[in-house]
Amino acid sequence: MPEAPGVEYREIPGRGCLNLRGDADDPTLRDATATTLGTELPTEPCSWQSSGDTRACWLGPDEWLLIVPDGEQSRVEQQLREAVSGPLSVVDVSGGFVHANLGGDNAAKVLQKSSPYDFHPRNFPPGRCVQTVFAQAGALVVAIEDGSFVLIFRRSYADYLVHWIADAAEEYGYPMHRT
Amino acid sequence: MLHIRCPYCQEMRSEEEFSNAGEAHIRRPPDPAALSDAEWGDYLHFRKNPRGPHREVWVHTAGCRRYFNVLRDTVSYEILDVYPAGVPDPDAPEETTP
Ligand SMILES: [Zn+2]
Repeated sequence: MPEAPGVEYREIPGRGCLNLRGDADDPTLRDATATTLGTELPTEPCSWQSSGDTRACWLGPDEWLLIVPDGEQSRVEQQLREAVSGPLSVVDVSGGFVHANLGGDNAAKVLQKSSPYDFHPRNFPPGRCVQTVFAQAGALVVAIEDGSFVLIFRRSYADYLVHWIADAAEEYGYPMHRT
Repeated sequence: MLHIRCPYCQEMRSEEEFSNAGEAHIRRPPDPAALSDAEWGDYLHFRKNPRGPHREVWVHTAGCRRYFNVLRDTVSYEILDVYPAGVPDPDAPEETTP
């Protein structure tokens, strides 16, 4: 039996995402997201809220990324448009992004090698999400419940970033799984 | 390498995540047609370029993508203050309504 890998990388298939912009103080926006997604909109900077298979990530004081099971996008978009009376922009950006999971004992080290952000668990525990420079490209990094990380990055960077991660993780005994 | 506190992300972040967008608190003249060429040229092209504290605009390019204001010492590079976009220039003389 080979040793447990220090880093595991897997693409997460079947994810859709929407960019949402609106007024965080608008009660119709807060109610609509709670009803539609089953989760509150996070208003604390660089944090997320989730319910089941759905996650809302803070991107800015009036901007969020809603991650939903693929196929749910138009339902979410429609319900938000119907229910929100304040300023609203909701755009299905699923086609532009790759979602991947980076796990294993040394996953945080791979992040630390790739970014100027402080990914030490003391600074970046589960519940946080951050948009930052990642391997000179950009990524949204989400620290999820089980201690691993979800990376969301532009599809056009995917090939480059997968090779970057493979190179950065090689010293930790990295095997690659693509699903 | 500077560490800059983004007033929206509310965290210290590396300079690499930001871009400088020049002098802050430059107001577009309300009636450009009333200005002389010299005054319009001043507005478009001339900046303070001080030695010492300088109010400037930065954008958190790789983060939340918001613009905000920074008071930075151009000699020591020390960042003396950071505040959101839309806050009036603290150095501006009080506006009086006629
Ligand atoms: Zn920011």
